[in-house]
Order: sequence, then C-alpha cells, then structure tokens
Amino acid sequence: MKLIALALKNLTRHRLRSLLTILGVAAGMFLYTSVETMQEALAKATQSSADDTTLVVYRENRFCPMTSRLPEHYLSTIQRIPGVRQVIPIQISVNNCGASLDVITFRGVPPDALRQYNANLQVIDGSYEAFTMRSDAALVGSHFARRRGLNPGDQFEAVGVNVYVAGIITSDAPQDDNVAYVHLPFLQQASRVGLGIVTQFNVKVASSDMLDRVATKIDATFKSDQQPTHTRPEKAFFAETAKQMIELIGFTRWLGLGAVLAVLGLVANAVLLIVRARVKETAILQTLGYSRKNIATIVVFEGALLGVIGGLLGVFGAFFFFIIKSFTIGNEGLTLALAPTTSVCMSGMMVALLLGLIASIYPAWKATSQPLIQSLSAD
Amino acid sequence: MSLISIHSLTKSYTKGKSTITPLENLSLNVPRGEFLALMGPSGSGKTTLLNLIAGIDSPTMGELEVDGRDIARLSRSELTRWRASHVGYIFQLYHLVPILSAFENIELPLLLGKLTKAQRREKVYAALELVDLVDRAHHRPSELSGGQEQRVAIARAIVHDPSLLVADEPTGDLDRESADAILNLLQTLAREHDKTIVMVTHDPKAADAADRILHLEKGQLIEQGGLNPAAENTPSPAPDHRL
Repeated sequence: MKLIALALKNLTRHRLRSLLTILGVAAGMFLYTSVETMQEALAKATQSSADDTTLVVYRENRFCPMTSRLPEHYLSTIQRIPGVRQVIPIQISVNNCGASLDVITFRGVPPDALRQYNANLQVIDGSYEAFTMRSDAALVGSHFARRRGLNPGDQFEAVGVNVYVAGIITSDAPQDDNVAYVHLPFLQQASRVGLGIVTQFNVKVASSDMLDRVATKIDATFKSDQQPTHTRPEKAFFAETAKQMIELIGFTRWLGLGAVLAVLGLVANAVLLIVRARVKETAILQTLGYSRKNIATIVVFEGALLGVIGGLLGVFGAFFFFIIKSFTIGNEGLTLALAPTTSVCMSGMMVALLLGLIASIYPAWKATSQPLIQSLSAD
Repeated sequence: MSLISIHSLTKSYTKGKSTITPLENLSLNVPRGEFLALMGPSGSGKTTLLNLIAGIDSPTMGELEVDGRDIARLSRSELTRWRASHVGYIFQLYHLVPILSAFENIELPLLLGKLTKAQRREKVYAALELVDLVDRAHHRPSELSGGQEQRVAIARAIVHDPSLLVADEPTGDLDRESADAILNLLQTLAREHDKTIVMVTHDPKAADAADRILHLEKGQLIEQGGLNPAAENTPSPAPDHRL
C-alpha cells in the first residue's frame, strides 16, 4: 500500500505528463469500447441460440423492405403448415434502405395480434389500450423514443407517415427498441403500398429443431406462386440481409485492435520516459534500501494506474456517450442499437488494467537492471 | 571495538580491455562512534572505498566487516536489505526526490518497515527536530536552500537510526557558513548519538571536523594518522544548527 501511495504521488505531482498520458489512454479505450459495443450488438443480432424459434418469410431475391412485397393472404396458408405456432404479417416502412446511423423504421402489424405474438413486449409508458383504440397510434421502442425525444401523447412524422405516440415499449428483442409499431392497414395506406400487401411474415415454430423443416416447407408451398418466398431463421435473415453493415462492423474489430496497441505503446512509452527521467532517483531509493522488487512494483503500479484511470475515463465516457446519443445503425431496414452493456465496460476496464501492467514490464525491468553505481553517477 | 573492519580489500573492474584497480590491498579499522574523514586526490579510490563500506558496491577481494557482518559475501538483495537497516548515505548534491516534501523525503526509508503512519510521523519529526527544520517539513526541495536541503538529506540518512553514516563530500556544494553548520551537525551525531561517520572530502577545513583523517592515493592508504588534534580541541557544537 505504501508503495502504491508513492506511485500515486509520482503521478499526481507530474500532473501535466500524467494527464496527457491518461487522455491518450482514455481516447484509445473510448474507441475500444465503441468497437466492442458494436461487435456485441452485432453478435446478439446474428448469433443464433437454442432458444431461437422465429423464422422470417421474405420475398425471394429481395433485400430491402421497399421491394419485398408479399400478399397478406399467405398468412392463412402459413398458419396451416405443421410446426407453425404463430404468424404475424408485417409491413415495414423505412426512411433509408442503405446504411445509416439514423434509421426510422415503422412496423405495421395487426394491433390485436402484436401482444399475442410478442408476449415479452412491455409498455413502459402510455398504454397498449391507447394503441389499439386509435388507427394512427404507434408503440415506440424505448431506444427510438429516447433518440427522438418522444413521449406518449406526442405526434411525429417520418417517411411521410404521421403517427400519434400511444406508448413507449421495451422488449428482450433489441430490434423492438428501435422501431415504431403501427396498425398494419394504416401503414399500408399511409405508405401507399396498398391494402393486402406486406413486407414479411414472422413465424414462430414449436421448437428450434423445426426451423429448417418449416422454412423449407413454406418456400416449397409458394415456389410456383407469383411472389415466391425465401424463409430463414430471424438471425440468419439479419446476417444475410444486413451483410454490408456486418462487414463494416466486422472491420471495426481491427480499429479496436489498433486502439489496444496504441494504448499499449502509449503507456509503455510514458512509463519508459518516466523511468529514464528517474534513473538517479531510482538509484537513491536503492541506496536507501529499496529492493529491485520494490522499484519494479512502483513502476508497474504507475503503469497500471495510468491504464486504469485512462480506462475509467475512456470506457465510461463511451458508455455515457452511447446512452446519450442512442445511436442506431441500420441497413436494409434492419436496425442495430448501439447500447453499451456492463460486460463491455468490465472487459474494457480489464483490458485497460492489463495493458497498463503489460506496458510497464519492460520499463520496470529497465529501471532495476542498471548497476547501482552506474545509476548514481548518471547525469 | 571496531564498527568497520577492513582487511586486504581490493576492488578492480574492467573498462574496455584494461583492468582498473581503484583500491588495492587496503586494511582499516574504524571504531564505533568515530567521525572519520577520507581525503585524497581525484581517482585515489576514496569514493570507491565509501561505496564499499556503504554496501552499494562489492569488493573483488578481501574482507569487509561492518557491525560484525561480513558484507563482502552478501548478495545484491542481501546488501539492499542490510543497507535499509544499517546505513545512512549523505550525497554531495543532496539527491532529494524533487516531487516529495521534506517530510516525505525523510519518510522514504521508513516506508520499507512495518511502522504505522503515526510511528513514522513521530520518527520523521524527531529527525526534523534534530536538523532544526520542523518549520520546513512540508516544503519541497526547490523551496529550500542548499544547506537546508543537505540537512533534510541528513535527516533522511538518520531517520531509521543506522549505526553507520557515510557522506560523500557533504559540504562540497555549500558556502562556508552552511558547511560549518553541516559539520557541526555531523559531529553532534557522532558524539551525542554514537553514529560512526565516514566522510569523503577534498576540503581540509571539513576534514578538521573529523576525529581522524586518512589520506588515500592510488588506492592505498598513505597515512593512517592518529586522532585529529583540531577535532579534539573543537568544542561540542552549539545546539543551534540553523544555516
């Protein structure tokens, strides 16, 4: 503890040098946390698990909701396929089919079927009843509402659709937090798609091992129809449809790695400079009876403190930045909410601490390896 | 009884292709509580001898016992531990840690022990009182005069109560008045606190404060004189050490 206090004094009494290093570490860890947040959001949206039982029925060879058009009457046919538990037709309207950081997505659904289809949907403000009572009512995802500053009772217009906010919702499915659910007939008319046409069907099957079988059966059923379908598990649908966005986010992993290496180099350089500037001071401490282990401990603590303090600033800076800005990255009508989690923050802090420790190893060795007599006579 | 007992001590090292022997076959005894001055021209081996006695360097050959311990046989880490409890080192240029206050500099040797914060504080203030710098406890080295810095360095050297103090030109960077005050302080430490002091100096006036003066030349003692008559006649220093 006494050596930690000494390391802390070394840092606090060289304020400018420490501050500049900490700011550098914070910038690197901000970038690292941002990248990890994107990677985690992507992993959640695309990695399937044994609990996944949802299929998405889309128009074959279509990738944007503006071009995927399926007859609403497919509903009753799909419902009759063995293994299907529930089906909901969805009309999707987006302001931008390309990659964007501010995608506005309307999902038109039969109002009475929504709650039945998605039992996990929670209305955290406003009411579901208000949604069912007004044809222009919308249930807005909490992330979307925060981004747009919307509250129940508000009216807002986007993609040429003017809606009344009946409630704010949240759900286990991250997609639900980024969309506005509206009445299906209302959206069909407001977006000029026309009654009887939907973008997709979301199908829940009895168990995850039935996904492939049911998907094959659905596609086979409509193969000879004018609008053939392509049915995939929801997460595979996301992975395939938002391919460009996924590639882009996948690339950011390299940025994260770059940030980690930059932090490593920065702390190592800073600590090495500190050690070089203190050759004589270190020798004096050794003359006073400080062992090489004591000296190395002080150096390593300094590196670790720089890493941890910079990490705290960078990681929690990114955490609050993402919360305040509520970024949602979207592509082909699919959205990915960039919401940092505690696990990302914890891993960021661990990385910062490890980087601080690793970066100090060489300077610590350097500080203790020089012969005492030589260090004492150093200029 | 000798605190320092040196027998046939040799120190040599290689520099490039040549071997340099700053000390050769040197023997010396220093009684406990003695204030010894080592004099000699540059390169005579006096600082090498001081570093060997202080345990910050190891001899090539010979015996070197301090307080009954043969420190010539100790490993680097054993020497470090030994220094922490037995030696106080006073440098010509004080070598205080610039970012720490006088109090914190003096406290440095105590951080290695198991003393509580209150015990450390008590010892630091006792040392500050001895060097008459209590009112400068929280000043940084840059806020002190050269003489005050050296007194802080002396307080740091004695705070853990070592039996041996080694001083390398402790007055070399000070004006006469400050130098005299430092020498008085060293005499007090030897006479009243039973510290054995080995001091290297070029200054004959500084050497006069010691109980005994030894001259080194080319790594050998050329004169192992008796007690310094000047020091014997020097009255006990005045209690006021202000510089």
